[in-house]
Amino acid sequence: VSEPGPQAAVVLVVPSATEFLAAIRDVARRAAELFGCDPALAEQVALAVDEASTNVIQHAYAGASDRLIELRFDRAGERLSVEIEDDGAPLDERAFPEVDLRLYASERRRGGLGVHLMGRIMDEVSFSRGGRGNVCTMRKRIGTAEGREAR
Amino acid sequence: VTELSVSSDERDGVVLLYPSGYINAHTVRVFEEELQRAIGSGRYRIVLSGQELRYVASAGLGALMAVIEEVRGNGGDIRIAELNETVRNIFEMLGFNHLYRIFGSEQEAVSSFLENAPGGSASA
Repeated sequence: VSEPGPQAAVVLVVPSATEFLAAIRDVARRAAELFGCDPALAEQVALAVDEASTNVIQHAYAGASDRLIELRFDRAGERLSVEIEDDGAPLDERAFPEVDLRLYASERRRGGLGVHLMGRIMDEVSFSRGGRGNVCTMRKRIGTAEGREAR
Repeated sequence: VTELSVSSDERDGVVLLYPSGYINAHTVRVFEEELQRAIGSGRYRIVLSGQELRYVASAGLGALMAVIEEVRGNGGDIRIAELNETVRNIFEMLGFNHLYRIFGSEQEAVSSFLENAPGGSASA
């Protein structure tokens, strides 16, 4: 099976309900594989995308399940590019402070772990405000999961 | 389709939890309920056995973090065994292997409680 051409993209639009996280995960994994990631890396990318989509549902949409999340997967040079867009409330990166696991246990804190995980998996994670709302852009060098060891 | 089910067992005074499937923001409540069922009945020695756990997102890790102080404060611990490579990588990426003792086999994890050592240190 040949890899998709340079203009190819996979686009998924789903309701902002956690029921759809499984579909998001499955499409993310398959798209990552189509663009050349090995299965182990594709699984990690799927997790980062699950986390980013969960943030949209919980923070940008405050739990509302009747909005839309648009995900776009494509290849930018040697990198897999993922854009996750919503039209919800602005996401404040300051709401995702650096994670200190010891404090997590002692203060029973929740949240922030997902963004931390996204940053550990992907090479780049950025949040911006686009034409419709928030855009979370993540990039990962296409290759094998072992690449993360060098980070 | 059931994305997550959690069965439980008890051996040598240790509660064994067997999550099967995927833990994420959608399914985490099922996992939390089983954790709470053990803790609520005063059973603080818990082994999470992950042979059927395909995937865990931060929601699942947050659920563990939310109860670990209470569990250890009552002389128990949550120990983890039989993780597949994907899940083990996630634990290590977040540094959870420094907070939780992770064992290759379920029996090793159960036996570790019989050593009567308090939890919190990392295993090899």
